[in-house]
Amino acid sequence: MVGNRLFVRRRDGRIEVRLNDAGREVAREAFGRVVAAERDPQHEWREGLNPPIDPSVDSDDPLSTLNRQNEISTNAELAYMTLGEQFLNEGEAWAWLSTLQIALRSTATSHGLLNEEKLAACEPVLLDFIRTLQQFLFALAECI
Amino acid sequence: MRTLVRNVLSSTETKQETTSVVMTERPWNVVVWDDPVTPMSVVVVIFRRIFGYSNNKCTQLMLQVHHEGRAIVWSGANDRATSYCVKLQVAGLQATIEKDE
Repeated sequence: MVGNRLFVRRRDGRIEVRLNDAGREVAREAFGRVVAAERDPQHEWREGLNPPIDPSVDSDDPLSTLNRQNEISTNAELAYMTLGEQFLNEGEAWAWLSTLQIALRSTATSHGLLNEEKLAACEPVLLDFIRTLQQFLFALAECI
Repeated sequence: MRTLVRNVLSSTETKQETTSVVMTERPWNVVVWDDPVTPMSVVVVIFRRIFGYSNNKCTQLMLQVHHEGRAIVWSGANDRATSYCVKLQVAGLQATIEKDE
């Protein structure tokens, strides 16, 4: 990664992506998994992508559920398609942020990392992936 | 004249009193739940974008989520609450709706 700013807001409103190849590879893995989870009902992240809207009823309104799936898919596909871009517009940057955040939470949920203690005790490779996603999100949130 | 007065009285007597009771439906709350991985600044950005709240209010709500484990971020009609909940979930936050107590 170049310098310590991974994303920079330009004067023309675009957001410059300063991730190097390794950084983009992490983003590719995260975006790719979200796209795959939306397409594969058996995917390990699938449950995390479909939380209840109203836990007091047995099933959610199908239209709301469909709307959520469509929006998650749209964001993830847009993020994946713009992986190689040097500059992102507002909508693309939002798609990156949403998809990175979904990838982060899905990673934690699928590994049962539901509190600080479990997070601190997880295997180093997994913790490294989580910390990298958090770093991306932190940097991107500063620009949006 | 007597007949007229009698008619008026009888119509008054048969008139039934009606009372109207206004039932106010309890609002639906949109609740955001804490998790150990989401950066605080991301929560603020998502609240600002979805609800259009000020930075101050977004930060207060984010801190409430962080310290209390959950926060009610919006209250109102069921369809709008559901819509906001879906938007928050699409942005990757853990959100649900519940009827106000």
